[in-house]
Formats: sequence, structure tokens, C-alpha cells
Amino acid sequence: MEKKKGMGLVAKQKAAGWIYLAPATILIAIMSFWPMIQAFLTSLKTGSSANMQWVEPIFYNYTRMFQDKIFLRSIGNTFFYLIIQVPIMLVLAILLAQLLNNRDLRFKGFFRTCVFLPCATALVSYALIFKSLFATQGLINTILVDLHILKENYNFLGTSASAKVVIIIALIWRWTGYNMVFYLAGLQNIEYSVYEAAKIDGANGWKTFWGITVPLLKPTIIMTFIMSINGTLQLFDESVNLTNGGPANSTITMSHYIYNNSFGTSVANFGYASAMAFLVFILVAILAFINMKVGDTRD
Amino acid sequence: MKRKLISMLLAGTMVLSLVACGGGGSDSGSGDSGDDAEAEVTTSDDENTLTVAAWDPSFNIPALEAAAADYKENVNADFNLEIVEQSGSSDIETKIKTAGSAGDYSTLTDIVLFQDHYFKQYQRDYPDAFVDINDADINWDDFAPEKIDYSTVDGVHYGAPVDGGTVICAYRVDLLEEAGYTIDDLTGITWEKFIEIGEAVYAKTGKYLATINSDGNDFIYLMLQAEGVSQFKDGKPYITENETLGEVVDLIVEMAQKNVLYFANSWSDYTDQVIGGDMVAGVMNGNWIIPTIKNVEANSGKWEITTMPTLSGEEGYASNGGSSLYITANCEKVDLAKDFLAYTFGGSTVTYDNALLDGGVVSTYTPAAESEVYQQGVEYFNDTPIYAQIAEWTANVPVIEQSDYHYTAREYLGAAIINIINGEDRDAQLKEAEDNLNFAMGN
Repeated sequence: MEKKKGMGLVAKQKAAGWIYLAPATILIAIMSFWPMIQAFLTSLKTGSSANMQWVEPIFYNYTRMFQDKIFLRSIGNTFFYLIIQVPIMLVLAILLAQLLNNRDLRFKGFFRTCVFLPCATALVSYALIFKSLFATQGLINTILVDLHILKENYNFLGTSASAKVVIIIALIWRWTGYNMVFYLAGLQNIEYSVYEAAKIDGANGWKTFWGITVPLLKPTIIMTFIMSINGTLQLFDESVNLTNGGPANSTITMSHYIYNNSFGTSVANFGYASAMAFLVFILVAILAFINMKVGDTRD
Repeated sequence: MKRKLISMLLAGTMVLSLVACGGGGSDSGSGDSGDDAEAEVTTSDDENTLTVAAWDPSFNIPALEAAAADYKENVNADFNLEIVEQSGSSDIETKIKTAGSAGDYSTLTDIVLFQDHYFKQYQRDYPDAFVDINDADINWDDFAPEKIDYSTVDGVHYGAPVDGGTVICAYRVDLLEEAGYTIDDLTGITWEKFIEIGEAVYAKTGKYLATINSDGNDFIYLMLQAEGVSQFKDGKPYITENETLGEVVDLIVEMAQKNVLYFANSWSDYTDQVIGGDMVAGVMNGNWIIPTIKNVEANSGKWEITTMPTLSGEEGYASNGGSSLYITANCEKVDLAKDFLAYTFGGSTVTYDNALLDGGVVSTYTPAAESEVYQQGVEYFNDTPIYAQIAEWTANVPVIEQSDYHYTAREYLGAAIINIINGEDRDAQLKEAEDNLNFAMGN
């Protein structure tokens, strides 16, 4: 056997593979990983952004955030939204998807468009619309007072409990349709004959739903869960535009507080803000990991 | 086919409604002209042209135009001032922050209009961003000392003052009369008396005598300044030990409970719903609030202004907001810029007269107040010469300790007040505000 100069066929193919991968890899590294490393380094620094110094001790920004009452409150708020809003939204989405998947339903396309439409609205505009709807002199107040449900106009966005509820309602309105589309896609993949078989066996709608739909949709459910958790932990627009974090920081989210520390009214503190952003990153990673483990069906 | 048609229709209505929202939304902003970053002017090659960034087309931009016309006519016929309009003051702050972080100031205009309260913080964080104008031909003693204090760092002057934030207390005299009071009854009074009148006005007319923006919280600051007291002492928060602050907080809570003071949720709520929606019989804020009051045309001639109440019952003076012009590191024509600032805002009554006429900008330049324009009665305010009054008060505003953390302090104290009104313990809340503030300051 004669040994050829240069690369063999396999090696050549491998090299070609790497060359195809290279542009995307390099772009991701430069646009995504490099900034992440830089952000981590920034999170270990302090001072004005023109003249940043290493902090002393080096992880001070990280220890500091656990003594920061407002940051702790923002974590609490974010998890409050997460725990209340995500389950309601996903259950609604799955029910809507189930309804719309009904073969006998007419105008399916119309309803589907209706439910999905909120997702096409920009975050800021829908937040502003909700803000005007729930304003003290807004539409909701006028209707409730006219229907004699309320005696006088209620300051929805100026009271912490109701402000939180408004944010949750807004989130549900905005994101249910988005998740429903994933479920619809998942439902298309379930053979109709499975349902027919269940029917023959005498299962009612409720049993079919829990016994067939939910288990077969599991991968989709896990994906929407991870996406919703991820999205809620990074919640920003609603907090900024609907309530501006108020009253008295009772609706502020983590991302909003991070923004306030870098570009808000407070003194710019990019180091501390980066450190908090890293905590959000870690939280998202942990929650996603748990979710995947829980959803893992392999033995 | 039918389905397609319906979805097309739906999509169409949505696009239309979004366009409508876009149009409606921009009305409430302070200015909405196109300022896309790509097309934005920074500096000019022409040796007689300066660029300046400013934000309010109905307030400070007319003042700058007045100054440019003045300088062009009387000093340099070739002079040209290009005004780069921003959508708000925070645009300029963000620009300096990003330029300073990158160490590249080429994105800035020659001159920027900058909010007074923020200046020292930005000067400290980005010491290279601003050029001092200590040697400009300006007689600093002609300005209100409180105003100049904001733009002076370690005795070095950086800013040419444009507008002041001297506080006015504007009241609806017709509503006061209904409740049996006159504007004189509200001049030089204690806050207790103010609350008494406020209760009477609310009972008679259903309107609040004062209003506060609960996410801005300038009210505490104004009341404290009228007493000559600050939220800071020797660079540290001065909250729990500060008895005056405690009294002020008690008064605000009392006013809220007795329907004397209305809490607006946000700034737009404050300007559009509360003042614009004719919910109040009185407004207390920097004199730049006047155009907002004037928006309710139906109430023309029914307003008058006076000074603030105080704890002791003397006339109170305070200041809130205001801005100055600063030369940036990107300016290559520093001499021209200094000369322009010194000639116009540094001491030209022509500039100040036109700034007042065109933009309602009330000067902090003492001699400007002697000009005839300032003595004229203003129709909206019952033909009283409000600008002469404001100018007179400007000189009386006490200088109090300022801090880079001014807005942070306001935010925490505001949160504390809301919690106290909701029934929390006052001292515990103030302690928490102080702790938070100390924490933010790294003490």
C-alpha cells in the first residue's frame, strides 16, 4: 500500500465538516461567548464605566446582592409571577389547543388567528395599552363603576396587589396564544386513531385528555415550560412600562432592577448589574436543568 | 379561501390599530421628532457652526434658538447653531454614559443641555466628558447661587445656566374663593394651615390642593429644601436622625389621608390625568410645570401663583429640576462655544427675553428679571406678573447639600412614604430607606 501525501479521504471529509461549521462557530464565539466572558469580568469590577477597578474582595458584587433588599424583593416578585402565571397560562394554552384541534369545529383558522394575534403585538405597545385600560380613569374602571361592581374608581396600578394581578393578566393575554401554537403542532402529531381507540374503550373526554393528550404532548409541555420560565425570569417590558416597578418597588422584576442599576435613574453601576445578570443566568440554567430531569422519561 | 380572507382582514385591522396606537402614544411624550442615530449630527466642519443637543421643542429649544439669533445678530453674522433634538433628557444622559464607557466622545455634540441634578455624578464618573468654562466671560455673581452650585465642581464652573427650577405653588383662585379663601391665605402659611385649607377645598369642590408623582417623589425634597434641609449630610444619608424629614413625612402622610394630596402613579399620570384632567386646585413644582398647567385652556385666568408653605409659617422657596449647557470633550471650537455661551446665557437680556416669550424659560440671571418682558402680566394667571415673581424668588432659594445619589434617595423615600400611607411603621420604613440608600452608596 502506498501512502498518499496530504490528507486521506476521511480526514478530508472531516476537515470539510469543520470548515462548514467554522463560520457559525466563530460568529457564536465572537458575538455570544466573548461578551459573556467580558460580562463576567465586568461583574468582578466596580466604579464608573470609564474607569472600572477590580472589586475587593473579588466576589463582593455577588455577596452584595444577597444583602440588597430591593434585589431580593425583585427575585421574590419574579418568582411570584412565575409560580402564578406560568401554570395558568400553560393550562389555558393546552385547553385552547385541545378545543381548536377538534375536527368538527368550524372557523378553526379564524379562532386560531384570534388567539395568536396578541403575540404579534410589540411588548411595549401592549403594555401601554394595558396601562391605559387599567388607569384610574381608564376603561376598566369606567365599566366596573357603571356596572356598580365598584363604588368609585380604583387605582389598579397604584396598589401593589392589584398591580401584580394586572401584570399577570397582561402576561397571560400576551403569551397564551404563543404557547397554544406549540401545543397545536404537538397535537397534529398524535394519531387520531388513538383517540378513536380510547373512545371505543369507553374513555370520556376528561380521561382521554389526561390519559392520551398530556402524556403524548410531554415533550412539547416541557419545552414550553422551559421557554416560559426563561421568559418570565427575564421579564422586563411589563414591569417597566406598566408600573415602572411601583408602587414602592412592589412589582419590580430582576431584569428591571438590573436595568435601573445600569441605565435607570440610579448611579450607573455596570459591575453590580452584570453580577446580578449572571445570577439570573444561573437561575435559568438550574431551572431548565431540573425541568429536563423531571421530564426525562428514559430509565 | 374564506379563512384566508378573514385572517387577512384581522391582520389588517391589527396593523391599523397599531399604527393608531403609535400615533396616540407619541402625543404624551415631550417631543417626538425623528432622531435616528444613523442620521444624527454630531459636530460640524464649518468653523462658525456649533451643534447642541436639547430635548424640549416647546421649552428649551426655543430658548436655544433665541440665543443663536441673538449671537448671530450682535456678534458673529456667520454664526450658526444646529440643534439636535432628542426625545428626552435621558437620551443625553445615556449618550454620555455610553460614550464615556467606550472612551470615545465622538458621538457627542459640541454642547449638550444637561439636567442639573445629574451633572456632578456624570462629571465624577466621566471626568473627560466635559470642558470647564471657568475662564469664560461670565459674571457668576449675577446668577442665583443655588443654580450655580449644581454646575460647579471643586470651585470650577462647567455649565452655562439656562432655566431654573424655582418652585411655584399655583392655585385655582376661583376654587379657593368657593371654599372661602384667597391666594393671600396661602402665602406664608404653615403646613397645618395648608392642610386645613386643602380639606375645605376638597369638601367644597372635590379637587385636591396638591399632587405628587409617586414614582418621582419630588415633594419630600421640595418641602425639605424650603426648610433649608437636605436628605444628605456630609456626603452621608441624613434620614433617620433628620427630625425635619420626619415631620415632613408625617405631613405628607396626613395630607394623603385627608384628601389634600393626590398620588399620581407615574409622570404621565401626573401631567395628563391629574393636571390635564383638571383634578386639582393646586400644583406645586418647578416653574417648568407652567406649560402643563396651561394645557387646560378652559381654566385660563383662574390661576395665580405664590410661594411654598413651611413648617414655621414663613414663605418657602425651593427649586426642582432645571438644566444648563455644557461643552463636551468632542468640541473642537471651544473658544467659539465659550464665547457663545458667555454672550447669550451668560448675560444677554435679549436672549432671556426671547427665551421667556417663545419658550416660557424663566432665567436664573438676576438682571434679566428687571427687563420689561418679565414685568408683563400673564393672561392665564389672572394677569399677574408671574415671571417677575418667580425671578424674585429664585434668588431666595437656599443652597442645600446635593448628592450624586439625589434621585436614588428620592426613590427610596418615595417607596417609604407609600408604605407608611399603607399602614407601615414610619420609623422602620425610614430606617429601611436609609439602609437601602447607604447600601446603594456603598457606605
